[in-house]
Amino acid sequence: MVPTGSGSARPTTHNGEHYVDGARVIEYLPSSLNALPSSRYYLWLMAPALILLAAITLYPFFWLIWMSLQNVGAGPETEFVGFKNYIRLWADDKFWTGWVLLFKYSFFCLLFEITIGVFLAVVLNGHRFENILITIFLMPMMMAPAIAGLVWYYLFNSTFGWYHWLFQSLGILGETSIIGSTETAMAGIVIVDIWQWTPLITLITLAGMKRVPRDQLEANMVDGASAVRNFISITLPNIYPFLLIAIMLRFMDNFRFIDVIMRLTGGGPAEVTKVLPVYLFDVSFVFFKLGRGSAIALTLLIVTIIFGKLLVKVFENPASKRIDQGN
Amino acid sequence: MALVTITNVWKYYGKTVAVKDLNITCKDGEFVSVLGPSGCGKSSTLRMLAGLEHISAGDIRFGDTRVNDLEPKDRDIAMVFENYALYPHKTVYENMANPLRLRNESEDTIKKRIAFAAEMLEIEYLLQRKPMELSGGQKQRTAIGRAIVREPKLFLFDEPIAHLDAKLRARMRGELKIMQRRLGTTMIYVTHDQLEAMSMADRIAVMNNGVLQQFGTPQEIYNHPVNEWVAGFVGEPPMNFIDCDLIEEGGGFYAVHSAFKVAVPADQAAKLRGALKSSGVRMGIRPDQMAISLGQEGAAKGSIKITEPLGGDTLVDVDLKGAHHVLVKTDADFRGQMNNSCSLNFDTSRWHFFSKETGVAYF
Repeated sequence: MVPTGSGSARPTTHNGEHYVDGARVIEYLPSSLNALPSSRYYLWLMAPALILLAAITLYPFFWLIWMSLQNVGAGPETEFVGFKNYIRLWADDKFWTGWVLLFKYSFFCLLFEITIGVFLAVVLNGHRFENILITIFLMPMMMAPAIAGLVWYYLFNSTFGWYHWLFQSLGILGETSIIGSTETAMAGIVIVDIWQWTPLITLITLAGMKRVPRDQLEANMVDGASAVRNFISITLPNIYPFLLIAIMLRFMDNFRFIDVIMRLTGGGPAEVTKVLPVYLFDVSFVFFKLGRGSAIALTLLIVTIIFGKLLVKVFENPASKRIDQGN
Repeated sequence: MALVTITNVWKYYGKTVAVKDLNITCKDGEFVSVLGPSGCGKSSTLRMLAGLEHISAGDIRFGDTRVNDLEPKDRDIAMVFENYALYPHKTVYENMANPLRLRNESEDTIKKRIAFAAEMLEIEYLLQRKPMELSGGQKQRTAIGRAIVREPKLFLFDEPIAHLDAKLRARMRGELKIMQRRLGTTMIYVTHDQLEAMSMADRIAVMNNGVLQQFGTPQEIYNHPVNEWVAGFVGEPPMNFIDCDLIEEGGGFYAVHSAFKVAVPADQAAKLRGALKSSGVRMGIRPDQMAISLGQEGAAKGSIKITEPLGGDTLVDVDLKGAHHVLVKTDADFRGQMNNSCSLNFDTSRWHFFSKETGVAYF
């Protein structure tokens, strides 16, 4: 018999061994599964994970805050400047333009990715070749962003790029290349993002559509709903939480992924694609003003968190209700 | 309200045949039950009627309209699903209003119709609740309410009370029957429970393996099953089957088994003449169509294997000589004990004979 009672009062010898009615008992578990072990017990269990987390997340985060208050040059010596970096950002036109471009870029990416992604999911769901098609559709997503950028760089190329030729033949494009023109460069990078990340939305939506209750869809059809109406009143509320996850993921990605933009336009032409993360890269690693760079990075992080929270707040309530009320 | 005609309908899922050459006609206002074990094609039939499943071959008509290619929403039907299929984020009221909203009925009409249905189903006090706050029986009433507010041409019920507890189920059987009579709407009711079918339907279509076995009134199906399968499926406790030989002796016919030799009534003998040449027949008799007595005076001799007193009556499992056991339903005051010898007298006017090879009834 394993004695019950508080852990500390137990007559324990070394190695957790003790004797009960003359029998040797070695305990590997807390003495009673009903009694909760002390919080210290859990703390020790979590310690390795906490240390690792601190090393890779918390330390760099606080270091970033510290850096943003310094004037960091190429050399090892730094100088404390207080909030000067932030004050200078306030007056920095490129910083504000970066924000505007970032929101524009992110908005159009999300708009098209969600629309096309959900549409594809609806078409694919229950399709005879669903598995094969989804595998094919996922290919762009599997490609490293820098490689994707390179592929599209060639497709957009004004001498031998196929898309360039197509658009020019259709009269949509003038003499300049898609990514070379200030009017179309933004569209160019948005297209690549759509191409690469729509499959993710499709995949997530498709997963959501698998759990839409079939009997509800059918009941609604018999009640008199058209396919579109059925989608809006039954499917959409059910895939809502999934869409929220997809939007969150893509929105945060848009705020930090610059591989494709760097490869395609590098922020040009005339800085029309210099979204904030690209500007951040320039300031930090081209001009090596790491202090200012840190200040930008921190602002970007805070805005991302705020927007993420807002997004969850706006969308979460009905979504979570719907999950709770599943039959 | 409508006459429903199912003509030579087939349903394939890939190469699997779910419904084979089905022909059923439901009269206007009739309560038809489709009865069969799971996988017999009854649900496929209902789903084809609803338009949720493509009709592989054949025609379904509502009145004069061929509905094969009509969308569910254009068929003017209402369906109650096995799992109720309520919309979880809508209240009971909104659930019931949904089919009317989709047809752009006025708020006044919606209110009136829901009030009528809610009163009939006694769910007025539930209207503002959501499905998750309802019990199984209440959910089922809501689902039925959603169907009747439509005032459709045809009701399709897919095992609507299968998930309720036994007591509630018994009560709902009566209520559904009253409701259908009151509304006068044609109803097609799918079930695997023969008791439901027998107690509610005007006519029953018995299906097995995608094939319609028999279509008739509950009495016809109970008293004159067309084959051994229907005979065994309908009736609780099920019919006993005893293989025996048929012989002609001195102008009369006799059913002969190692435990008995019973004369066949003259009117049946004429119909059984063809069976003489076959290697034997299968006699079927229901548990309540035999009289059991202790001792050996009866026609068929055996011994009691076990008795099950059920209060109102007693079920007796009898071992006939020749190792065939037979279930007998008798009075509550039957005093037989295990291993007592006993004998049975068959009600020969109500027994059945089936072909051993094909299972088809001789009369």
